Amino acid sequence: MSAGGAGGEATGGIPQNQLIALGTLGGLAGVYGGHFLSVASPAFAFIGALGAICAIVWGSAAVRRVASYGLGTGVPSIGMIALGMGVVASMFGLAVGGIAGPIVAFIIASIIGLVVGVLANKVLGMGIPIMEQSMTEIAGAGTLTIIGLSVAMTGTFMFDAVLETVVATGYIAVIFIAGGMAILHPFNANLGPDEKQDRTLMTALEKGAIAMVIAGIVATVVDGASAVPSILIGVFIWYIAFSKYVKLVHRDAYKVLGTGLLPTEEELE
Amino acid sequence: MEPLMGMGVLALMGAAATIAGTTEDLESDVGSQSNPNSQVQLAPQMMYPHRIYNKAISGEPPSNALICAIGGTVASVLMTAGLSVIFAIAIGALIATAVHGTYCITAYMGRTASQKRFRQPIYLDILRSHTPVMMGYAFITTFCILVVSYIMVAVLAHPFPLTLLAFIWGITVGAIGSSTGDVHYGAEREFQNVEFGSGLNAANSGNIVRKAESGLRNGIDNSWFCAKFGGPVTGLAFGMTVFLSGWVTAVFNPALSLTMGWLSVAAGVILVLLMIIWNRKIEVAARKAFGPYKEEEEVAA
Repeated sequence: MSAGGAGGEATGGIPQNQLIALGTLGGLAGVYGGHFLSVASPAFAFIGALGAICAIVWGSAAVRRVASYGLGTGVPSIGMIALGMGVVASMFGLAVGGIAGPIVAFIIASIIGLVVGVLANKVLGMGIPIMEQSMTEIAGAGTLTIIGLSVAMTGTFMFDAVLETVVATGYIAVIFIAGGMAILHPFNANLGPDEKQDRTLMTALEKGAIAMVIAGIVATVVDGASAVPSILIGVFIWYIAFSKYVKLVHRDAYKVLGTGLLPTEEELE
Repeated sequence: MEPLMGMGVLALMGAAATIAGTTEDLESDVGSQSNPNSQVQLAPQMMYPHRIYNKAISGEPPSNALICAIGGTVASVLMTAGLSVIFAIAIGALIATAVHGTYCITAYMGRTASQKRFRQPIYLDILRSHTPVMMGYAFITTFCILVVSYIMVAVLAHPFPLTLLAFIWGITVGAIGSSTGDVHYGAEREFQNVEFGSGLNAANSGNIVRKAESGLRNGIDNSWFCAKFGGPVTGLAFGMTVFLSGWVTAVFNPALSLTMGWLSVAAGVILVLLMIIWNRKIEVAARKAFGPYKEEEEVAA
């Protein structure tokens, strides 16, 4: 009875190394691109959210890999711990790093993630072979998600601006939960023995787009970032990803019925 | 603030919280979230395909924290932009509800598609009929939580911003709904075919009731059942949490003097002790009335 995943290594689809590259490079490029181009025009703040989406897709792929070892109800916890480590690392990194803030935060997150992974395996004895690597990845992805969405909200990752616009106003709460859910929900929503990587990652893209739209809504009352590009591009990405997701569900499902009775005994044999 | 006025504000918060708790539980019952979900998820694997909405948006606390935080964010942004409070809260709850709808749909379709080898079909009529019901409940929950949070910020001058309060209350209402109301669905409604109080035998795992009073059972049938007890009791639990936790500081205002502060702590401790004793009495009375499950009776039969 492995209701919580296949109980073994997740297989198929895009190799994890490519997703790590997408998340790290895409995430950092989005964060820095959004930051520097917003100086020219606040309209470019949305690039930060695109970086966050890259990190979200990477994070959900990492959750999928580690949670495939039968974590079950642990899937939500892992998403929450990702953003928990992310908040600590990003606040520390942005506070001390200045212009190198996101990179400092990313490195700190990787260290925290590694320590948590080692603790989980060595002290708690969870015995999941890829635990250390996955926790490092998840912490990094959570950090880039938080910084990316903050850039989309404020147009900068400078600590004072982020503290004033994102933390003091409480919008950090929505970044925390919308980013965390975008990382944990994809695998949780597609949990089951016939889960497919492309369907899970498509859910991550769709949920990341929702986080982008929310960041855009916050940007309506912030001077440094403009809201319309974030909201419009977010809704566009959401629509594409959602349509694609429904297509993948139709591809993978046993049957998609308008309505009907339960499968008969013979059908189940 | 006048003590009488303070009581009135608390009563309003308690009333809003009671509604929020009720709708939160019923929302989770329509979609079989949290506690009952493991059995709904397991059933097709044990050769019991069903027409029940299988939705797991992580647990209830994160999923309610999500809708309340989104609602709080949008409401806070709209209020900053100068819109009236009622409109801001209503539009915030509306956008949160729309997001919740997408989470519900991806959860049902994704989980069911991942059960291909157990031959569990996706029923689109279930998707179309249940999702709006859950969105409706989620709207009421978010709206009421935002009302509670707004009163705390605007009237009681709480130092936290609206979004953060909504987020925290979202986690709280989800946690209370998950621990209070879901038992009524997960332990009773799903296993009406076994004797009351018999517990869940491993052999019965996944063997949930799949046929309704008429036709095949679905999530809306389950919320009909839970609306009789599980939902309201969740509402009462959450309403009491909000009301009583504010009541101790409304009666003994710590702002007046240090003695009052300690009196409010003492009042809180006394309330908790009273609750523990009361709960114990209910448990003992229930055990006496219904008795333990007797194994030998089944053997004799």
